[in-house]
Formats: sequence, C-alpha cells, structure tokens
Amino acid sequence: MRHRKRKTGTVLAIELPIKGAGQLPSETGARTEKKRKKGFLHELVHNRVLFLMLLPTLLFFLVNSYFPMVGVYYAFTQFDFNSGMFDAPFVGLKNFEFLWKSGTLVKLTLNTIGYNLAFILLGNVLAIVCAILLSELRVKWFKKLTQSIMFLPYFVSFVILSVIVYNVFNYDNGFLNTLLAQFGAGPVDVYNKPVVWIFLIIVFYLWKNLGYSMVIYLASITGISDEYYEAAKIDGAHIFQRIWYITVPMLKSTFIVLLLFSLGSIMKGQFDLFYQLIGNNGVLYNTTDILDTYVFRSLKVTFDIGMATAAGLYQSLFGFILIMTVNYIIRKINDDYALF
Amino acid sequence: MKKKTGSKTLVTLTTTALALSLLAGCGGNNSNGNKGSAGPEGESNSAVKTDGNAAAAADTGIDTSKKVELQFYMLGDAPKDLPVIQDEINKMAQEDLNATVKFNYTSWTDWDQKYKLLLSSGQAIDLIFTADWTQYQSYAKRGAFLAIDDLLPKAAPELQKFVPETMWEDVKVDGKIYTVPATYKEYVTNGFVYREDLRKKYNLPAPTDLASYEAYMDGIAKNEPDLMPMSLNSDVGNNLHYIYTELNKMVGALPYGMGVKYESPTTVYSYWGSDEQKEELKTMKRWADKGFIPKNVLNIKDTMQDPITSGKAASMFGDNPTRYNDMKMKISTTHPDWELAYYPFGKTTGYATPVHPIHNGFAIPKSSKNPERALAFYQKLVLDKRYNQLTQYGIEGKNYTVEDGYYKLVGTSTSNGFTREGMNGWAWRNPEFMLFDKGFDGVKAIFEELDKIQKPDLFLGFAEDYTSYQAEKAALEQVEKQYLFPLEAGLVADVDKGLETFMQKAKQAGLDKIQAEWTKQWNAYTAEKGIK
Repeated sequence: MRHRKRKTGTVLAIELPIKGAGQLPSETGARTEKKRKKGFLHELVHNRVLFLMLLPTLLFFLVNSYFPMVGVYYAFTQFDFNSGMFDAPFVGLKNFEFLWKSGTLVKLTLNTIGYNLAFILLGNVLAIVCAILLSELRVKWFKKLTQSIMFLPYFVSFVILSVIVYNVFNYDNGFLNTLLAQFGAGPVDVYNKPVVWIFLIIVFYLWKNLGYSMVIYLASITGISDEYYEAAKIDGAHIFQRIWYITVPMLKSTFIVLLLFSLGSIMKGQFDLFYQLIGNNGVLYNTTDILDTYVFRSLKVTFDIGMATAAGLYQSLFGFILIMTVNYIIRKINDDYALF
Repeated sequence: MKKKTGSKTLVTLTTTALALSLLAGCGGNNSNGNKGSAGPEGESNSAVKTDGNAAAAADTGIDTSKKVELQFYMLGDAPKDLPVIQDEINKMAQEDLNATVKFNYTSWTDWDQKYKLLLSSGQAIDLIFTADWTQYQSYAKRGAFLAIDDLLPKAAPELQKFVPETMWEDVKVDGKIYTVPATYKEYVTNGFVYREDLRKKYNLPAPTDLASYEAYMDGIAKNEPDLMPMSLNSDVGNNLHYIYTELNKMVGALPYGMGVKYESPTTVYSYWGSDEQKEELKTMKRWADKGFIPKNVLNIKDTMQDPITSGKAASMFGDNPTRYNDMKMKISTTHPDWELAYYPFGKTTGYATPVHPIHNGFAIPKSSKNPERALAFYQKLVLDKRYNQLTQYGIEGKNYTVEDGYYKLVGTSTSNGFTREGMNGWAWRNPEFMLFDKGFDGVKAIFEELDKIQKPDLFLGFAEDYTSYQAEKAALEQVEKQYLFPLEAGLVADVDKGLETFMQKAKQAGLDKIQAEWTKQWNAYTAEKGIK
C-alpha cells in the first residue's frame, strides 16, 4: 500500500507540465461562448469572478504571445536603420526569396520533416517499449539504476557530444579507425559519407532524449490502477497480453498529446544537434541540412531582420497548418484524444 | 453571502494587480536595464558637476550643461580591472565633459550576431567599434551610423587635425565620414610561419613561395609523420583560399569569386571557373592527397595558433606579423628549444599594404542620444595622454611599469587584471603615447622591412551595397559552403567535375546577377577614387 502511494506521487509531479499546457481547451471554450452571442454577456456577468481569475492568464498570453506577433510584419519589409518598423519600405515576398533561390527549399523542408518524424516516431515507440520493460522489472535497485543511466545523456550538452563524436569518427586518429586498424581493416572516412549521418544523427538524438521521454511514459504506466492487472491476472492473461491489452491502450492518450505537441514544432529541427555535429562540413549538407541550420548560416553572414523573420514565419506557418490538420484528423477519429 | 463574494472579488483583483505589476516589472526592466546599471557611478561623481561645466565649455564648443552617461561598445571580453579603470576615467570625464562612460563588451562568443543586434535594435549607443571585418562600409552605407563631418569641427577639432586628411578621405562612404580611424600604422598582411628548428634539423628549404612551402611540408611529412605539416581548421575559406589568393596578388579578400589583381585594379574577372582557380583547387587536392590537409578538416574547431604553440603542427600557411610574434613569445617560454620563423608574403609578391584606416575605428550609431559629447570624449581618449594610457595599459605601477622605454607587465597575464591593450583599444591607439613590449621589436623589424615595399590598400575603401541582390547573396553563401569549401580543402576526388557542379549551383543561386552588380559598383568606386 505504502509502495503504491509513493508511486502516484511521482505521477502527479510529472504529469503537471502536460496539464499546464492543456489550458488551450479552456480558451476555445470561451470561443464557443461567443458564438451564442446572447448568452455570452449574461455568462460574463454571471461568472465574473471566474472570468476575472482568467484575466491574468489571458493577459499573459496577449502580452507575451500575441502582441509580439505584430513583428511578423518585418518579414515583408526592407529593414532600414533610419525608419521604424511601419514606415520601412514594403517589399512583399522578396525576403522569402533567399529560401528558394538556391533551389534547396524542398530538400530542406523534406530533411527537416524527415528527421523530425524519425525523432518523434522512433523516440516515442522506443520510449514506450523501454518504459514497459522497466515497469515490469521487479528488482528495484536495478530499475532505478537503469533509469538513471538512461536519463544521464539528457544532461550532456551537444557541444560535448560533438567533441565525443569527432573523437570517435575522425579519420586520422579517431576511436573507430584505431579499432579497425587493430583488426586489420582499412580506415573509414565517416565525415565524408553523407548517408551514414542520417543514422548517426537519429541514433544520437535517441541516445540523448530516450531517457527523458521514457520517464514520462513510465509515470503514465505507474498511474494505471493495479486493479486492471489483478483482474486480468485472475482471468488468466499472461504478461504479454496484460501489456498489449492494458498498458498499451492506456498509454494512447499520453502518446497522442506528446505527438501533437511535437508536431507543432516539426519544422523547428534540433538546431544544436545538427549544428554541433555537422557544423561547417558542406560535404554532408545534402542529407543533414535542416531549415534551422540553413537559415542560421545564411543570416550569420548577412544579417537581415526581414529575412530572419521571413524564415521564422515560414516555419511557424508550416507548423501551424500541420498541427491543425493532424488535430482535425484525430478529432474525426476520436474526439477525446484531440487537443481542441 | 454578499459579503463573501465581495472579499472574493477583492482577492481576485489583488491577484490580478499583482500579476500585472509583475508583467509591468518585466517590461520595464528591459528598457531601463542600461540606466539601472549605470546608476552608482553617476551619483558618486555628481559632486564635481558644477565646476566641470565651465572647463568643458571652454575646451570644446559644445553644450555640456546637462550631465550624460555615454554608452561605449567594444568587441571581445572586458579585462578584470575594467571597473577600476572606468572609475578613474569617469572622474576625469566628469570634470572635463560633465559626462560619465559605461564601457560595454560583447565577448568574442557570437560577437557578430551581437554586433548586428546592437545596431539594428535601436538601443541607445554612443560609441561603437568599427572595422572592415565588422562590415563598417556596408553598415555605413545602409545608414547605421551618424555622419560626423559637421560634428567634428565643433566637438573634436583637435582630433580632426590629428588624423591626417588622407585618412579622413579614405574612410568616407558616399562622401561622408562615419568613423574615426586609428592612426597607428601596422601590417596585417600574411606570411609563412614555420618551425625553423625542424627546417635546420632535416635540411629543408625555407618557405619563400608556394613551391618551397610545399617542399618544406613534404620534408616534415617524411621526417615527422606524427606532426601535422600545417595548422588548419574548418574555416578553409579564410585559412587556405584567401591566403592562396593573397599570395597570388589579389587586391583583397574578394567575395563572390570576383577577381581583381593588384597590378590591374580596373580589370574585373570571374575567378570562379577560371583556370587560375582550377590551379588552386588542384594544388589543394595534391596537398590533401599528401596528407597536409587533414581529411576531416571541415570538422576541426581548434584555433589556428594553438597547434603551433603546442607543437602539434609544424607550420601555418599564413598569419600576420603580430600574431606570429605572439606565438614566438609563447613558445620561447614554454619550449625554448623550438624556433619559429616568418617569411612575409610581401617579399614574395613585391608589395605590402599597411592597414587601411577603416581597419580600426569608432563610429557613433544613429541611435546615439549624445553624439557631441561622445565625439568629445573620444577625442580625449585618443589625444589626452592620461585617458589614453589608462585605457591602453591600465594603472602604472599596478598593472604595468615602464623600463628603458619598454612596457612591462606586472606579474603574469593571468594574475594581472589589465594586460597590454586589455580593453582591445586598437582603434584609439595613439602612436605618440604607445608603449611596446620588448618582444615587439621583432614585429617592428618586420614592419620596417615591409615599409620599404609598401603600397596603399586599394580594396577596403570600397563600400559594397548589396541591397539589390541580398537574396542571391544569402543563397550563394550556402552554395559556397556546401560545394566550394570541400573543393578548397582538397576533399573532392574529381576537381573538374566538382567545380562544374559548384558553378552550376552558383549560377542557379544568381551568381551572374551578383557579379554583374558588383563589377558595376567596383568600377564606379575605382573611377571615383581615381584608381588605375
């Protein structure tokens, strides 16, 4: 009994951030109120205290998220030191030009989405598998130890990771080539093989983030009432059936929430990871260049607020459309799982 | 019941008010950050305010009745003792100009981004460092700085006289002066840096041109297989390509594959795709095949100098005399048995260009609230010995001593809170007040040698205006990094085919448009300056 109580404690603490983000539904709730115009004013007066309590949150989002959106206008102007934002000359879509001028926009978009899909899907699936395996472990110290070891890479910065990776794979005196030489095999020039990096980047991403997402799922699993399992046991379900018919379906909502959140930022690649691992190595760009690194490199040399905003707008718009579509599909299939 | 609702409302209201004030607090902090941090110095000095006024008014023709705080921005990292120096300076500035100064530093990490943000965010800045490598010309052209032509005679008449007329002329962009150039003459041209002791040991030829340098590296590779023949990092554009072209008498580090030779500055051609470039790329390919260029050069993040001083590399394709001297001094204390030698490219090419006045300067950004006072202060910094030596060398006796006219650091560079030129004050160096380290005599000797073959820099006065091809420029830079850098590092097996791919991609990105526009601007520049 004591054992279980402690467990639910952890669940609460970890699920909190997800709940916090779940404030979105309440705002859409306000929107549906507006539709029924007659009732809204009445509602406002009737629940004025509640609305007043909502006010700080509303203001917070207005000030921090909505007002700054005015800056999007920069994407359509020619930046000028002499004039303010609104009297700067309007140039239409000219700032977006540099994105497709080199003919790489499609490649970049595909790379970005491809990597992110791999990160999201592989990351979640592996996290679920590991979480289930870990939750079935009965030796407590081993479980804790495994969990900690898996979590540890999360704290390794990408800068350090890049040094490690370089020392493993560099041609002249890297760990890999020294090892190969020991076995009498010839050296491999990893930094000159673009295709290999698709796997390497995904592997390193998983290595770093698996522990973190696993903990979220582990928390969800501990939140599943033991009664289900006990009932299943009595009915004669063996362990795989218990996992497949109880644990997996119960994790579905967590999975979908995490999926939707990560889809929103699908165009925002893991900048640090790519930038640190690949850096200036143009040989690898065909398979490893994502929008963020491309934009960063372009604007590092010619800094222009207009062009930077344009790139950001493209990413955000794409993410917005994507999340709306996916949410729509999910709502069609099962209303309960949709974000809004 | 009613009372209860009332108290509830009150609670909510209070909460809201608190939350709001929190938000307001955040917003306020941002805009007032400068003021807040500047407070204490201003207060402590306000006592001398009144008598300071009169003196300042007599000194310069500007209105100093209102006390101001100047925001001064420099690149790099602030020295440890900066607060002490700043206090000392402020005591004097308060008296002379009824102003105080806050010295701000960007740190070297991402300085370029920070610099751009400082200028484009509209933050109030009174003085900021400018150089060719911080894109002074293009910022000036786009209106980031204040034209100081009319301000100079009023706020800094002595400074105007101190800086030679030709220098004022050289820093002009579109006929206006936007920066105060440094008058100290130095050379930042490159030269071969190599280990002389190893050369003697294996009886190798001394590098004097491309062929002998290659022969030297051949010998190193043969005799010292564990040593890198040359120090390199991922910035192959600057460390291989531009050094190669400098040796080939290009007028400067030209962008977009433009080619202009020093002997014929009015003839512009496309270096990219030319036989000359093919020759360069084939040389690099050969060097890479011989193992001079590491296979993973594009992923190396070391500085160029470290491998030399730590004995991992035997030579450097090119570095400037001052940095060479720094390395030499460092080695002389850590490895006295090693010997470093230098061969300036000037001796190979037959000419050397002293730094262009644009190379070091200070400008007043458009956002400045006190341009007059800023300029007057800068005049003090350059021409007043007290200001100048204090900001260049620190406090005499505490940070440095003068022995036989030579500068001597007190303690070591780590224990001393203000090393020589610790504030990175390259721009306000005044040759009359300058103190040199004894070891600097080596650099002076090189400079004297180069003085004999000096010719003016033709390139830096050119202010490129890329507004009409900004998108193409950004796209081209990508193509360059992806397709040209590997070629320049000798990493591509088939040079001809690689170059073809690069040219095709570059054309797609708009190379022709950029080159045509650049040529037009360059021709206008050479015509305007009368360069033939």
